Amino acid sequence: MKQYFIRRLLLIIPTFIGITIIVFAITRFVPGGPVERIIMQAQQMKNMDGMGIIGDTQENSSQPLSDEQINELKKYYGFDKPVLVSYCLWFLKVITGDLGVSTRYYDPVWDMIVERIPISLFYGLVSMVLVYGICIPLGILKAFKHKQAVDNITSIIIFTGYAIPGWVVGLLLLVFLGSYWEIFPLGGFTGDDFENLNVIEKAYDIVLHAVLPVISYVAGSFAVMTLLMKNTLMENLSADYIRTAISKGLPFKKAVFDHALRNSLIPIATHFGNNVSVILMGSFLIEKVFNIDGMGLLGYESVIERDYPVVLGILVISSVLLLAGNILSDICVAIVDPRVRFK
Amino acid sequence: MIKFSPLFKKKINRFKSINRGYYSFIILIMLFLPSMFSVLIANNRAIIVCFNGSYYFPTYSSMLTGSFFDQNYEYEVKYRELSKIFKEQNSGNWLIMPPIPYNPYENDFKEGIYPPDSPSFSAKHFMGTDTMGRDVACRLIYGFKIAMIFSMILLFVNYGLGISIGCFMGYFGGKFDIIFQRVIEIWSNIPFLYVIIIISSIVVPNLFMLIVIMSFFGWISMTWVMRTITYKEKEREYVLSAKAMGAGSFRIIFKHILPNTIAVIVTFAPFAISGGIVSLTSLDYLGFGLPPPTPSWGELLGQGWANMDAWWIVTSVIFAMTFTLLLVTFIGEAVREAFDPKLYTIYE
Repeated sequence: MKQYFIRRLLLIIPTFIGITIIVFAITRFVPGGPVERIIMQAQQMKNMDGMGIIGDTQENSSQPLSDEQINELKKYYGFDKPVLVSYCLWFLKVITGDLGVSTRYYDPVWDMIVERIPISLFYGLVSMVLVYGICIPLGILKAFKHKQAVDNITSIIIFTGYAIPGWVVGLLLLVFLGSYWEIFPLGGFTGDDFENLNVIEKAYDIVLHAVLPVISYVAGSFAVMTLLMKNTLMENLSADYIRTAISKGLPFKKAVFDHALRNSLIPIATHFGNNVSVILMGSFLIEKVFNIDGMGLLGYESVIERDYPVVLGILVISSVLLLAGNILSDICVAIVDPRVRFK
Repeated sequence: MIKFSPLFKKKINRFKSINRGYYSFIILIMLFLPSMFSVLIANNRAIIVCFNGSYYFPTYSSMLTGSFFDQNYEYEVKYRELSKIFKEQNSGNWLIMPPIPYNPYENDFKEGIYPPDSPSFSAKHFMGTDTMGRDVACRLIYGFKIAMIFSMILLFVNYGLGISIGCFMGYFGGKFDIIFQRVIEIWSNIPFLYVIIIISSIVVPNLFMLIVIMSFFGWISMTWVMRTITYKEKEREYVLSAKAMGAGSFRIIFKHILPNTIAVIVTFAPFAISGGIVSLTSLDYLGFGLPPPTPSWGELLGQGWANMDAWWIVTSVIFAMTFTLLLVTFIGEAVREAFDPKLYTIYE
């Protein structure tokens, strides 16, 4: 068992290198990087300057920077070396904990990420607690009342939640509850005058801003979990060992909660590890809809603005989390299900 | 004609007996087939014109100019106005407009009103107009058509790739399997939305480019499934006897193993369709999907997000989207139940 997990942990390394090298290569070969951006800015500035002078237009469209300057820029951003060499340099820096400097804001990438993490973590944790808090009891209830009124009515909600993605739910809530009826704020993590509020008002402000995004997060994932809970519990209820337990006189409730429920939690536990990356990274679509300045939005904006050090920095964190999450899933399964023996 | 095995026929019959899924399937087909003829439902050209005793079908013919219908202009005739003129003249000329007399690219600007304009039946903007004055209902229909075609082609491409690679991995095993396992593990951990955004911000993708980019990442899930199943099927006797009779690997995979895995393939298909619709909508919402002015749900959602006072844009798109995705989900659930029935014991 220990061997298995050690091997899994070691396998993270080649996979991690594979992921980062592919994205690194993409950022290299794609036009529109920081060097091109600066050239474009220089060109615009030159055009602006050239407005007053009636000169030949040909010069305006030509290269505003000299080759020397461009080489200097390439060297500054590390674009002067071949891909593999600069990848190795980047990788060595990452190992020492240095994710580089944003080419857009010239802030250290690590600081930018650390600033965003609490926000995504807050939404992630709250919605995870809610998802598990709703799904497990609801799934049990639905399994007991299979094909009865409660089951059928909740099924409508669950199927709707299953069909439409969370950010679309968020958008609908935002337009009606936020804009039309003005019950909730239109997004953001806190209100504008957050600084001037006392502690209770601050907490109220955060909660008020959190209601709609949290609903969207929950709507995005509770359906799958509830159905999973219900189906596995029903499968276990019809298994032989429960029939035996009941026929030998065990009360139904005891049979369910002592025997069937524990077995039904196995698939839920398998899902648990996948949550790690969602909790920390957030969903950038939901964060975009609600203008929440979290990790997801940071990643999205850095891709749009070609802020490659930030893109890669987020990739490093998210892929490590994802890979670690997979292993955590296995550990969870091993804890819940003693029969599982990984080799 | 493909001959289905009796077992498969039985499963189809079981699917038909599941009312919710079967009716959803019929409704979806009834929505999809007419959307293929969306030019007849939402268009600024008339469906049929009767002029001086002869009939014209402008939707499927070349452009007819104004002077052709005795109007004093040379550009394309305005059918909505022509309809009024015909009525006033009362000379036996008539034309039938589609139910929504606008086309998806047409800006309907009215004097003194800035779009978006709220729904109005008198203007025949049943779901209002968007920020460019285009009819929302019309763009919904065209967007539905594009989204459905997109997800279906994507489904075929993904399945084609996934099934072949998965079958090969499962059937040949060994080094081929191990190498591809690593490749898939790396591939599936790349944040594919980021890569798509990077790619589509350089090249403006058309429908087929977008399918190619999406299928770059979409084949993985099917590959995993097919690999596991082929592993199981490979050990069955019929594969052994086919091998003993001298069948080659390709023949065994595609002629013998594949038909036996059809149940799994069919089960996943509806969910792949809804996944396709959702990802196209998400990309369009972010502005990295199909280029404007292609009518699309995601683009409308983006407009609705930017103009929240125009509640009708978001409401109509989300209603259409929920309805379509619910239908697809119901179909998927029914297919799953038909192909993999679970009989539960219920304790009273």
